[in-house]
This record gives sequence, C-alpha cells and structure tokens, in this order.
Amino acid sequence: MPSAAGRRALAPYAFISPFYLLYALFLVVPIGIGGYLSLTEWAGLGTPLWVGLDNYTRLFGDGSFLTAVVNTMLYVLFSVCVVVPAALLIAQGLNARGLRGRDFFRLTFFMPVVLSPIIIALVFTLFYDREYGLFNAALRGFFGWGGIDWLGEPSWAKVSVMLLVLWRWTGYLTIFFLAGLKNIPRELYEAASIDGAGRVHSFFNVTLPMLKPVTAFVAVTVMVGTAQILEEPMLLTEGGPGEATLSVAMFIYREAFTRQQLGYAAAAGVVMFVIVFLIGRAANAVFGVGRER
Amino acid sequence: MSASHARRVPAGPATRRPRLVYVLLIALVVMFVLPLLWALSSSFKHRGDIFTYPPQPLPSPFTLENYTRLLETQPFWGWFATSTIVAVVSTAVSVFVCALAGFAFAKYRFRGKRLLFDVMFSSMAVPFAVIVVPLFVMLIKAGVTNVYFSLIVPWVAPAFGIFMMRQYAEQAVPDSVLEAARIDGASEFGLFTRVVLPLLRPALGALAVWSFLNSYNSFFWPLIVVSDPAQYTLPLGIQSLYAAEARQVDLVLAGSVLAAIPSLIMFILLRKQLLDGLTAGAVKS
Repeated sequence: MPSAAGRRALAPYAFISPFYLLYALFLVVPIGIGGYLSLTEWAGLGTPLWVGLDNYTRLFGDGSFLTAVVNTMLYVLFSVCVVVPAALLIAQGLNARGLRGRDFFRLTFFMPVVLSPIIIALVFTLFYDREYGLFNAALRGFFGWGGIDWLGEPSWAKVSVMLLVLWRWTGYLTIFFLAGLKNIPRELYEAASIDGAGRVHSFFNVTLPMLKPVTAFVAVTVMVGTAQILEEPMLLTEGGPGEATLSVAMFIYREAFTRQQLGYAAAAGVVMFVIVFLIGRAANAVFGVGRER
Repeated sequence: MSASHARRVPAGPATRRPRLVYVLLIALVVMFVLPLLWALSSSFKHRGDIFTYPPQPLPSPFTLENYTRLLETQPFWGWFATSTIVAVVSTAVSVFVCALAGFAFAKYRFRGKRLLFDVMFSSMAVPFAVIVVPLFVMLIKAGVTNVYFSLIVPWVAPAFGIFMMRQYAEQAVPDSVLEAARIDGASEFGLFTRVVLPLLRPALGALAVWSFLNSYNSFFWPLIVVSDPAQYTLPLGIQSLYAAEARQVDLVLAGSVLAAIPSLIMFILLRKQLLDGLTAGAVKS
C-alpha cells in the first residue's frame, strides 16, 4: 500500500486514465487504421489490397473531390465572413445598456442548436419547396413573383445551405461574443468617449481589440466546425443538384457507405485530417487559444 | 443595475438607439421562432392543408390525426426509448469521466501534465468524418453488434468536456478546502466525490445538457452503425419517414414536435448553466 503522498502523486494519473484509455481505443487506433486503409483498396470484404499512394493520386484528380473541397471552402468562408460578424453585431445589440429581456433574446437565438438538425433540415426543406414553400410564398406576397428553385438550381442550392448555416449557428456564436463584451470594463468606453471617440471609433479601438481572445476562439470553432459540415447539405439537398452542395465530409460518407470504397474514403479522411489539423494548429499558434492566460 | 445606469444617460441619440435595437432584436426573434411555430402549427393540420397559398397561420380545422397516426403506425416510442437511453447513459458517464479528468488537470501538479493536456486539447481538432470509416470497420471486425455499445462508448470522453471542467474547477475549488479534507483523512477519490463534485455542480449541469443534446440529436453516427429499423433512434426514425416513397410530411412534423420536447425541456431547465458553462472557457483563455 503506497503512502499518502504516493497515492496523491498517482491520483491525477488515475483520474485522467479513463479519458486516455478511450482516447487510445477510439481515436488513436482508428486514425492508425484509417492511415493503413488509405493505402489499400477495400470494399469491406476479404483482405484489403495494398495499393500504395494510388488513392491519393486518384483523389487529386477526382473532380468530385475537388468540387467537395471548393464547396467546403465556400462554406468556411461564408461562416467566417458572414456568420461570425452577424453574431458579433447581434451580441453588440444585446449588450446595449439598459436592454430589457436580454436573457429572453439570448435564449431564443440560441434555440436552433438545441434542436435536432434533422428536424430543422426537414422544416427548411419544406420552406424551400419551389411550389408550396414559405419562402417563395413570401416573395410572391411582397414582390408578386417567387419562382426561385431554392434546392434545384446549383447556385441557389448553395445559398440555401448557407442560409441554414446562418440560421442554425449565429445565435450559438452570439453567446460567446456577448460573454466577451460583458467582460470589457466600462471605464475603457468612458475613457474613449472623453477622448471624443464616437461609437464607430470606440468599436474599432476598444471593442475589437478587447474581444480578440473570444474572436479567436469563435473563429477557430467556426473554421474547424464548418470544415466538417455534413448535416446541412446532406439533409437539405443530398449534396445536389449534381454535386453543387457536396462537402468533403459528405464525400467521405458517400465513398465509404454508398460506394463501398473504404480505402478511398479513408484517404479522403486523411487529407481532411491534415487540412483541419493545420488550420487548428495555425490558429492556435496565432491566437494562443486554450493556453492559460 | 443597468436600469439605473440607463437613466443617467442623457437624452438624445442614446435613447433613440435602444428602440432601434429592440426593433432589430424582435425581428430576429421572429426569424428564429417562426420556422418552429410553423412546424408546430402545421403538425395539427390535415395533410392537404400543410401547403396552401396563401399559407394559413393556424390550423383550421384543427386535428390530432397526425399524432395518432404516427403513434399507431410507427414504432415511435421505440425510437424514443433508444434515443433517451443512449443519451442518458452517455451523459452520466461522460459527465463523470470529464469531471474527474478536469479536476486532475486543474488541481494537481504532475509530470507530463502540459503535454497530456495539449494532446487532449488538440484531439478536439480531429474531424469526426476522419475516424468514422476506420471506427466503423474496427467495430465490425471486433464483432461488436450491440447498438448501445456502438452509440455510447466511443463518445463518452469528449475533450471539450474536460476542458470545460478544468476551467471551472480551477476557480471553483479552493486549494484550502482540499487540504482540509486531506487532513481529515479523505482519500483522493473520496475528495473528488465528496468535496469536488458538489463544488462543480453548475459546470456538471452545463456539461450534462451539452452531452445530452449532442447524443440525443446525433444523426450521422447512428446512420452508419444502426441498420436494423427496429433499433432506430429518433432522428433516424424521422428521417426514414421523410425518405419513404410518399414523403409523409404530416407524420414527420408530428414526430419532430414530439422529438423536440425533451431537448427543449432540458435546455429550458438548465439554460443558465449551459450558456455560462459554454462561454466560461472561451472568455477566460
């Protein structure tokens, strides 16, 4: 039986061991298997056939994969350039002095992420319907014309996916910005206004610099999250029309589970892993997310 | 406190601004709530009335037929039971595992802590789609056919949960309290269950809602590992109604409303903990 001091020294290892056990089994091992599978050709039965780097060379010549990469980059760009600023603006509004019902607003905007994506996607599919959907009905009501083929026309289908991303994630990001805004000392704004700074000026010179850590966190979350986007395009359009809304994660799913090309899908997974990991690491290095103070 | 602040602000542009803010915020509320209200209202309409032009805001005539038909013709309660059991078990286990590890990272010094923490933290950047294929292969090869095992076990130790717990434990658990309990002869694990867990309660609540919602709403992983319709989770069941030949929109809406109730209840009960818990880590670091 070890001494009290000995037990105290061992305790933290015991406490973190369940995590690392699961981590090894369900993260490290699968990544290893994925790496191996990516060098093989395998339909799920029999022994995987070793093909070296063939899957990778094939991947970079595969129009579908490149489309998926470009689409995913568009989604990421949209999230960073539209969803994040929208969330910041809403948070700014919620942070207005003397605002009543702040909690009500905050909760309502957050609600979409609480609900199952399948529910949301199905409701939006009905809204986007060309003949009977609410969106076209609203356009007809206001402008007398509403014949947009939201899910059937390639560029509109991309817009539809993005609108759903906007609707689903803005309120979620807002709460992070709001928490960050509340942490900014009022005195800074008072000092800025004594110096004659207007609203816009103090937004750029006080708010933005003070929000840098939160913005970093939000930006990384959004980039890493949107790079993996799957549910929105899969449930709204199944990647279509054609491959207009196909994302990388959907591409992997399709190759693995509808085309039984497990080795090829694993290779796409490895490429995605490298890209996302690099984004995450780079952002960490730039902003220092997760470091203590 | 903010109300008295507002009164001191001189009249002029400052008082006009909040009004504009209200208008915008209320417009946003409408945008966020309208789709959900539409789904709720339409779930009480006859199938033929769901799509009409101009859209009718309230069901007339009002009918419960979609609900009764859903419950009579579909194994809805089976889906519901699977989803709920999986979500509750996942939540209980992951809250415990994360609290334990988060506490260790927050309150002990040990060799390799920095490295282990970084390894844990960077696992958050591993995309789900990357491990899906090999994990599926692994479970098949290992002969795991139990749906509960596949749905629960691989996901019970989310790095995010540990991070959140560590952030909270650092400030909520005073070292002096730990020392006092040690002097009273508490073992390290006893310390955790009797002293630390009660202090972590708000964060435990936050993590519990977070993992419950994650598990209850998850769609992609169940889609891959559950092939037997008798073992479908709620999202899979609803999806199957929609994917069916006839697009049973009426049943889908009724099912969606029922499926949303547990999520909303969890969220409303623990809303404060969830939002504060989620943001604590981001604001601090």
